[in-house]
Order: sequence, then structure tokens, then C-alpha cells
Amino acid sequence: MDPRQFEHIVVNDNDTHSIVMSYLLHNCFSETADSLASSTGIKQPAIDRDNLERRKQIIHFILEKKALKAVELTEQLAQDLLEKNKDLHFDLLCLHFVELACAGNCAEALEFGQTRLAPFGKAQKYVEKLEDVMALLAYEDPEKSPMFHLLSSENRQQVADNLNRTILEHVNHPGYTPMERLLQHVTVVRQYLTEENGKDVFPPFSLKDSLKG
Amino acid sequence: MENGSWEVLGSKGLVKRHEFVRIMVQCLYSLGFKKSASCLENESNISCKSDDFAILEMQVLSGNWGSCLGVLDRIFDNPKDDVRNTALYLVFKQCLFEYLKRGDASSALNVLRKQAPMLLVGKEKIHRLACDIISSKEMESGEVDNCLVQDLRKRLLVELEMLIPSPIVIPERRLEHLVETAVMDQIDSCMYHNSWDAVSLYKDHHCGRDQIPSETVQILMAHKNEVWFVQFSNNGKYLATASSDCTAIIWKVLDDNKLELKHTLQSHQNPVSFVSWSPDDTKLLTCGNAEVLKLWDVDTGVLRHTFGNNDNGFTVSSCAWFPDSTRLVWGSSDPERGIVMWDTDGNEIKAWRGTRIPKVVDLAVTPDGESMITVFSDKDIRILNLETKVERVISEEQPITSLSISANGKFFIVNLSSQEIHLWDLAGEWKQPLKFSGHKQSKYVIRSCFGGLDSLFIASGSENSQVYIWNLKNAKPLEVLSGHSMTVNCVSWNPRNPRMLASASDDQTIRIWGPAKLKNQLDNRKLQ
Repeated sequence: MDPRQFEHIVVNDNDTHSIVMSYLLHNCFSETADSLASSTGIKQPAIDRDNLERRKQIIHFILEKKALKAVELTEQLAQDLLEKNKDLHFDLLCLHFVELACAGNCAEALEFGQTRLAPFGKAQKYVEKLEDVMALLAYEDPEKSPMFHLLSSENRQQVADNLNRTILEHVNHPGYTPMERLLQHVTVVRQYLTEENGKDVFPPFSLKDSLKG
Repeated sequence: MENGSWEVLGSKGLVKRHEFVRIMVQCLYSLGFKKSASCLENESNISCKSDDFAILEMQVLSGNWGSCLGVLDRIFDNPKDDVRNTALYLVFKQCLFEYLKRGDASSALNVLRKQAPMLLVGKEKIHRLACDIISSKEMESGEVDNCLVQDLRKRLLVELEMLIPSPIVIPERRLEHLVETAVMDQIDSCMYHNSWDAVSLYKDHHCGRDQIPSETVQILMAHKNEVWFVQFSNNGKYLATASSDCTAIIWKVLDDNKLELKHTLQSHQNPVSFVSWSPDDTKLLTCGNAEVLKLWDVDTGVLRHTFGNNDNGFTVSSCAWFPDSTRLVWGSSDPERGIVMWDTDGNEIKAWRGTRIPKVVDLAVTPDGESMITVFSDKDIRILNLETKVERVISEEQPITSLSISANGKFFIVNLSSQEIHLWDLAGEWKQPLKFSGHKQSKYVIRSCFGGLDSLFIASGSENSQVYIWNLKNAKPLEVLSGHSMTVNCVSWNPRNPRMLASASDDQTIRIWGPAKLKNQLDNRKLQ
């Protein structure tokens, strides 16, 4: 079978709709999901709406620089989740520290650091990040410091995605969407084919090129 | 400005007078003579603490951080110097601690954001300071205990002392160090140095001949034929000798350093050419070139076990023990026998046989039991690490007749029939061996050994009936001992008595050598 003859494979509409739906629900786009359901007529899978709304809130708090509120909601949702995921807990607390430092609230940042962050310093794996975060205090303008990446929205998004995934896995839902998995598969398979047959026959997978059509 | 800073001392004018006085003052202080030290400071107008350091001390103890940093900045002029930045970092840390204890967070932040960067302390140190604020428990605001603050300031001063270079701060105990260096140099060039006693400062250290064995103190006559091997036990209390009269004898070393016969071990049917003491000295192995291997109990002299049998032309050339005194290994000059490891009950544990194992001339196990050294008749020395199975080969150019390991297991010597003794290191870092010569060896198996304080000497037998002693520092013999009338086959230095040496000869005797007494007797007579 020639891997280039994939155009003959028939793709069912329902399948594509399901993939998009699962992506929307994973990322808490509840209104868009409702809209998709009514337009296409496919049924929404029986998911926990309450869980989804909470996740939506939590993610928003993180992106809106309210990390401590996100922590509070998470603890309400699942009491032991942060205890069992110390790395994530640490990342969230660091976000709060960064928020305080950026707001110029140094005395509070100092106290928060001494009471909530310092205990993490006992484990070697947190020491490097802790040093980076603490060092923000040495700069009047944290944006101009070498650790400016800690202030970026990309950083916040990454932590938010991580928390979202962890909550889903905590309630026994898959942590990754089928969409992501499919893209990962395509990339790997294409890579394999490139290695076996050369770049001219099978160029590596590029999403940008695929979107151009 | 120090007095007489242009004056020099000593016959070569190499020593500066003011420096000499200053280290003397330091020495008096460190020995506890505060009054004398202070007195000397006054009389000579040279103080132990430099002016700069005195200023720094004052600023640190009173917490004037700005001035303190200024002094340090002046002392260390290169901003890229990590020692400078470490010193500044320590001062900043103390400063931050004191601000935070008072609850003055804004001053603390000012230190981090303005003062530290201004002094070019370096990003790494500033980040570490930020981390220290958070992570150190001491920095939380609370009761300001004045005693604690003063203690910490004193500790800071001590740490700064270790970083500041001379001449502002001189290294601790400088005079002691210089004297010790001189003494060590003298010991290094002392060829007869063989004792652990501390050296006297009143005269240049120079040991005399009386430190090493050089005269016969006893002749042991009990064997009825050539004596081929001699070895002291590990605890130095016994001596074992082996002879072509087919026996081995165990002698006891008495309190007055004389030896007395304890047991004669009779059972072999052929000449005995090798013995080996178990590490715990409770057992003795004997073997010969055309003979089996026998295990004896030292205390009773009773034969415990015989390995092999005389029917098949069995031959064991050499054997060695493992540190547990229950496992032993033998090497045979018969390739079919190879090298075999046994336990004392007679069970075979492991064997190395085959084409890669030619005739074994001699073998030894390191005192820690980790490596086995084997000398093969094709002039190869193979060092096998028994744990990792890694093997290293040294190829000599002349036939080797014997092997001996030093007490610390770091070195070994081999006698070559080209009349040289080669010293190699076990670790394998040396590309060339140290070579010693002067003795005679061409036809027979002649053996050598390490001995004396820290194995700093080597002794060897010789075909010209003399015993040769070398200091490892020199390739030529230090002493040549005469007394035997025929070839000296083997020597052994008492591991617990660096002044006792034994030698075995074809003249059927064993000689015990000790230090020369003549000089001491003369001195004693003078005193009377």
C-alpha cells in the first residue's frame, strides 16, 4: 500500500464534528460547543457541565493574573489535586509572586515568598526556578530583567493548560484531545517516512502547508 | 608606613625585616602570648593587623556598611575578580539581614537594586542575594538580638579575612608553615630517614646510618641445605624460611629482637621455594617448584591441607592470600594448571587456564584484595582487577624472576635477570618504571622487598653474597651488607620493625640485620 494514496480514504462528517466538539469541550468553549451542536445536529457527549464551567473560571483567573484565586477554586473543585501535583502548585504560586512583584507590591511579595515559596526550596528540583523568580525583586522594572519570560502571557497560558489537563485527568477524562493526538501521530508517521524514503518523496509534516490546502 | 621596611635579613638578603617581625607577632598571638605580642608590636612599631584591615574591622563591627564596602572596593581593584565579588556579597548579605530584621524592606530592596549593581558585584551574586532574602529563615523580621548581630558581624570578619590577599591580611600561622616547609625539605633529602619521631629544630635534619639495618645481629643455622626464601609475618612477630632441604621453619621474634626456632614443618618431598603468610598470620602456605601446595597452622605447626598431589609432576611456583585469610590463589609454571583460587577447606573457587595463561613465574594479591598481579614467563606483568575484570599489561624487556608489593598496595617491584629492579605504580599512571641497580643477578631467582618507614626503602638479595639496600629516591645502593658466603636468594624487612631485616642464602644460613650500635656505645662511654 502506497502511503501517498491517502486521498482515497473516506472521512465521515460525524467523525470530524466529534473531533472539533471534543476540542471545544476540552478548552471550555461551552457556548461555541452549543452552537456547533445546534448547527450540525450532533449530540454533545454527556460531559460534566459543572466541571467545564469551573475549569473555564480557573483558566480565566490564571490568564487574568489572578493565580491565587485560581488556586482557591481548584482546591474547592478537588481538595487533594494540588497536593498530588506539587510541580503545578509551585508554578501557580510562582505566578502569584510574579504578579505581586510586577505590581510593585514588594513587601507583600517578600512575605509571600518567605512563607509560601521558600519551603519548596528544600527540594533540589525547584531551586533553579525559585532563584529566577526571587531575583525579580532585584529589578525595579521586572520587564527589563533577564527573567522577563516569567511575566509573559505564554508562560501563563502554559500553566493554565497544564492545570486544565491535570483537572481532567483527576476526574478520569483524557488529558489530551483527539485533535492533538492526531497531529502528533501525523508528525511522527511523516518523520518515519521521511527517514525511510528521503525528504523528496515524503517531506516532513507542516501544519502551515496543510492549512494552505 | 612600617619601620625599616627597606632592611633585609639573612646572609643572602632575601628576607624583609618588617615581614619577618610581622609574622613573629602573628605567631606570638596564635600561641597565646598576647602581652608579648603586643609588646613586640610596640617596640618594633610593626603591627600584625595592617592599617587597611584595622579600618575594615572597625566598619564591620559597627555596621557602617557603606564605608566597609568602600574599603573592600579599594582593596580589590579588579571588578572581574570573583574573590572580590564574594567578599562584597558576604557584606551585602549581612547588611540585608540587619535591614530585614528591623523590618526595613525598602532599604533592603535598595541594596539589591541600586547599591549592589553600582559596585559591579555581578548578576549571579545579586540573584543569590534575592534568593537568600526569601529562603534564609534568619532574615524574617523579628526580635533584634544585639548579641546575635555582633556575633554575626564577627563571623563575617573572619570570612573576609580568608578572602583578603596579603599583605593586607597574612595567611594563618605563617611562621609555622615556613618552618615546616624547611623541615620537610630536609627530610626529603635525608637518605637514611627511617623513623616516625619528630625532628629537632636545633640542627639540620640528617639521619645517620644507625637508622637502618646494616650489621648482622644474629645468624640462624637450622636448615641443612640452601635457604631459598624468607618472609616476616604481617604482625612482625614471626619469620618463615624455606629451604632446599625440603622443610620450612617458623621462627619467633622475641622481645629483645632475637629470633628463636618455633616449628619445623616437615612433609614436603621436594625443595620448598616459597611461603606465604595469611593476612591474619594464623596460617602459612608452603610450595616448591616441583611440589604441591601445603597449608599449615602457625600456632601448632600442624599440617592442615595439601593441595594437589606429587604423582603428576605437580608444580606450584607461587601463591597468595586474600584479605579474608580464607581464600588463596596459586600460580603454576605448568600451563595446564594455570592460576587457581581455593578456600582453606580445599574447594576450588575459580580458575584461569588456557592459552592466555602461560607459565606463572610469580603472583601476588594487593592488600585490599581488589587486584591480582601475575608475572608470566614471557616477560609480561598482568594486573587484573578482580571486580571489574579490567586487565592491564606491562611488557618488560628482560626475564623477570620475582615480584613484591608494597605494604600500602600502591607500588610493586620486579627483579629482572638483567640486574635491574623495576618499580611500577599499581594505578598505571607511570609510563616508565623507577630503576634500581648495583646488585648482581644473572642465573638465579633473586628476590627483593619493600621496607622501612612508609616503604621508602628496597632491599634485595644478590649473586655476589651481599644484601643491597636502596632508598627509593636514588637508583644507586645506599648500603651493601656483607656477611653471607654465598648467593643471597631472598630478603624480608620486618613490617613492624623498620630496623630489622632478614636474608636467606645458599650458605644454608639466615642472617638477621639490625642498626649499627658502635656510634651509640661510643657516645655512652663519653657521657660516663
